[in-house]
Amino acid sequence: MTLDRLDAQSVARRASAEIVPGSVVAVGGGWSAAVADLVPAEKGVWFLRAGGTLSDLPINAVDAGAVLRGGNVDLSILTAAQVDSNGSIAGYHAADYPGPQGHAGLIDLAAGARRVVAVLPHTADDGSPNIVDTLALPPDGVRCVDTVVTDVAVLRVSEIGLTLTEVAPGWSAEDVRAMTAASISIAPVLREMGFAFPPGKSPSKVYADGPSAIADLPDGATVFIDGFGGPGGMAHHLLVSLRDRGSRALTIVSNTAGIARVVSFGTPPGRTAIDHSVLVENGQVAKAIASFPVSPSVSRPSEFELAYRRGEVDLELVPQGTLAERLRAGGAGIEAFYTPTGAGTLIAEGKESRVINGREHILEHGLRADFALIRAWKADTRGNLVYRGTSRNFNAVMAPAAQVTVVEVDEIVQPGELDPEAVVTPGIFVQRIVRRPDGFTGYE
Amino acid sequence: MAFSKLYDSAAAAVADIHDGATVLLGGVSGANAPTALVSALADRNLRDLTCVCDSTYYGAEALHRLVAAGCVSRIVSPAPFGPGSEDIVQNLWRSGDLTVEVVPWGTLAERMRSAGAGIGGVFLPVGIGTRFAEGKEIRVINGVECVFETPLRGDFALIRALRADSVGNLVYAGAQRGWNSAVVSAARVAIAEVDQVVEAGSIDPERVITPGIFVNRIARASSAPIG
Repeated sequence: MTLDRLDAQSVARRASAEIVPGSVVAVGGGWSAAVADLVPAEKGVWFLRAGGTLSDLPINAVDAGAVLRGGNVDLSILTAAQVDSNGSIAGYHAADYPGPQGHAGLIDLAAGARRVVAVLPHTADDGSPNIVDTLALPPDGVRCVDTVVTDVAVLRVSEIGLTLTEVAPGWSAEDVRAMTAASISIAPVLREMGFAFPPGKSPSKVYADGPSAIADLPDGATVFIDGFGGPGGMAHHLLVSLRDRGSRALTIVSNTAGIARVVSFGTPPGRTAIDHSVLVENGQVAKAIASFPVSPSVSRPSEFELAYRRGEVDLELVPQGTLAERLRAGGAGIEAFYTPTGAGTLIAEGKESRVINGREHILEHGLRADFALIRAWKADTRGNLVYRGTSRNFNAVMAPAAQVTVVEVDEIVQPGELDPEAVVTPGIFVQRIVRRPDGFTGYE
Repeated sequence: MAFSKLYDSAAAAVADIHDGATVLLGGVSGANAPTALVSALADRNLRDLTCVCDSTYYGAEALHRLVAAGCVSRIVSPAPFGPGSEDIVQNLWRSGDLTVEVVPWGTLAERMRSAGAGIGGVFLPVGIGTRFAEGKEIRVINGVECVFETPLRGDFALIRALRADSVGNLVYAGAQRGWNSAVVSAARVAIAEVDQVVEAGSIDPERVITPGIFVNRIARASSAPIG
């Protein structure tokens, strides 16, 4: 009797059972392409496709690559040609994709995700095993796969190699082993392949208020604070919430270190603008990484400037464009980059320099943070953001580079209410949403 | 009156592309492709072009015409050959008349972004242990093994968008944004093929995806408007 193998749709369904509600999933072609259509919408899963979409949002190819490298993808599900016992994969048979280097479609998917699930037929058309001890084909990813779903089995990859955990209905461990060219262990409890999605829905990102949204912001954290110079585009309610929470020894990364108060753009008489100064004067800031950390007015120094003169805070000065680029690199999985900005100046001291195409460049590193406190106009409950005018400033570049991005918005709307073409920050970059309280202003 | 970027025809917009030029293509098929521009380029019968594109198959008729006319000597792409296909690209590669350079798509996009953003090169944690890291500088930064990748610049970019205003601000339709908006800043001269041209100021600034500073020329698409 010949045992039935699962069809492609069933393999995709088993792979989709690996998807956690609310997570971000990159899908490749072939069998894996069907996965996105199998997951119910209420699971709130984001699907990244290399062609330029993130679920219903159009995104460009640069951003798609950045999403993968930047650590934003929880799971890649990709179609492999071969998998070995170390979890290395080859994506393509040379006969299908000739040439010295074949096809490069899987490289980003294999390198960027926290977890990689490979789907493939257990054997090739000629009967030769696709699960092998050592790849015969050139690798597209090295030691990256943790789960293998085939048309007859599920295997997990660990330091001890491959472990068979599930078999297709009617199949035994010995049946699977006979068509595998790698040594495999059998799990203590061998199950029949299951196709159920993990229970639950995507957790809500909407918080009641600022204090609850930053209740776990610890001492010693690095915090991105958006804004340019004046009060526009600053998350004032979150700043006051952070002052009230009192977290100390913070490193703040921002364009200024708080000058809205002293430059007084439009401040009503008798009031002061809320900016970084509320943290500095409360003794919460240990260091600022900023491009414009001092007041433009000698007679009206900023709180940070005064604290710096007293020796209470450290400062790393970064040119404005370099600051934006370092933030972008942090969010885009770029560890370091060469820029001509600042070469030959004080900014270059202690940094590697390199002449590229006849021009001196210096090496700058990506910036990441534990928290980003950002400001937008509207969010939907998935975290998709739109901004208003120049208040977009550093918000959009900070959001992807923080572990936890908290946004303060004027209005929270339902999914689908923001035009996908107009979304600037996709919701995958936003973990928490707070509505600015009614009547709250940037002044106190 | 402001200098107009609108050209009378696709042919006029590509008239100065020269032998040996590197041409970045924002798409190769359907609504993603600057079909009128690539067709006009094929009519020029140039030699030794390098084309950079995300793939070369699935409806890439205009690109195939360009390749078949012998204009292209090199293709840079994550996927220069279709699965098991025997198309013109593969045939010319087999006969030695065309070289291909395969680059992972995220790396390709980032290399073009570097060119457009004035970055001298980037360290990317992509392709380690594969053929795509061979011969390149490898460096461990913050405990992460990275490959050094250099900027990829074009002489010309041929892209497709939904709508342009007369100063070149662009909006796209859906997935059209994918590669078209990625390649546009990386070329010395970017030429946009669009379905609609509108007055400057009539596109909501919040919705502009490609600012007009990156777009040098605009030509109308020959096909029917989409979207």
